[in-house]
Amino acid sequence: MLADARKAQEIFHAMLRAAAQHSADGEPPIDRLWFFREARERCLEASGQGLQAEEIDLEKEEIGAAAPQQIAKLEATQLAIWISAAPDPQRSALALFYLDEFDQAELLAITESKPAELAKLLSNGRHEFQAWLNATVPLAET
Amino acid sequence: MLSRHQRMLLQCAPISEARVNDRDMRVALHRGRKTEEFANQQNFDRALAELVRSIPIPQELKEWVPPEAFLSPPPRSWKRLVRNPAILATGIAIAVIAVVAISHLIDRMNQFPGEPTARRLLTLASSTHSMLLDPVKTNAGSLGDLFFMKHRLAHYDVPEEFADLQTIGTRVFDDEEGQRVAQVWVVEKRMQFFLFPAERDAKTGAIQHFNDWRFIDQEGWSGVVKEQNGVCFMATLRGRQKDLAPYVAKPKE
Repeated sequence: MLADARKAQEIFHAMLRAAAQHSADGEPPIDRLWFFREARERCLEASGQGLQAEEIDLEKEEIGAAAPQQIAKLEATQLAIWISAAPDPQRSALALFYLDEFDQAELLAITESKPAELAKLLSNGRHEFQAWLNATVPLAET
Repeated sequence: MLSRHQRMLLQCAPISEARVNDRDMRVALHRGRKTEEFANQQNFDRALAELVRSIPIPQELKEWVPPEAFLSPPPRSWKRLVRNPAILATGIAIAVIAVVAISHLIDRMNQFPGEPTARRLLTLASSTHSMLLDPVKTNAGSLGDLFFMKHRLAHYDVPEEFADLQTIGTRVFDDEEGQRVAQVWVVEKRMQFFLFPAERDAKTGAIQHFNDWRFIDQEGWSGVVKEQNGVCFMATLRGRQKDLAPYVAKPKE
């Protein structure tokens, strides 16, 4: 979400403090999704203080059969930077989806989106990432 | 061929099979697996998820207190509640009380003034033989005049629902409370009729009226009772309420 480990860690600690405070007040978080919702909101808040990603139409390309080989050549930080540069709610959808922690209903609940909206965000994200991937790791190199 | 809805579901299909909890999603996945497009998407997603998993997590974060420590306890499902012995025992007790209460309520709803007398006469009906009665062969409806003329019993009339039935015999006697009771034996289903004074209020002496037919059961005998002009009429037979019900189902035209 932030592509900044230090900021992410600060948010993590702030979130823990908030959870502890809620528990002390007798109102503990009702489920584990609370942590992810809280983290998302805090990340959006933190990123809102810096430069904002513009909503522009990025180039899209069909997902190729060689995509896994292209992805294998990437560094995790490259992916983090690409996702953190996406405008929200696409950024939240991609970041939470690729955590591979949630079923569809949970994902919809955390991102506060509708099924068609989430499907479009993810689909566009994949095709845009494939276009970037083709530019960054050309097929000839794989 | 995938529907629009299924294509939409496939676009957000979870990367791990374990995250698939929805039937529609399972159907969409089953169909989608046959297409090359979805196979590419799944390989793409798995590769990205693998990359995400490769992100090192600082040791400090790994050692943090697990989130369950802060979570409120999960709400108890009704199945778990039912298995709790204390709740199970309470539930059974409430159910028994409810059944007894409903039974009492039904009994009270069926009670009517003169019911004790009716029950006594129902016992009598089960032990009476037609030989004890004076032979009278006529329509039950015409007995009202006989009772009035011969025994001075006013309003001892057989209701119109039973008025057409042929009689075998009658008698008039005093019951243990000194009340004048008329007993009639009819041919149909070996029924017996009883006519007796309606119950009166102990303080005011006023007749306690009730309008509709009331059923009673006792030791294999059934009776149906109605009050009219201060006199109760009861038709009895050996059997169940359903054997008497057709006679009083609706008024005769």
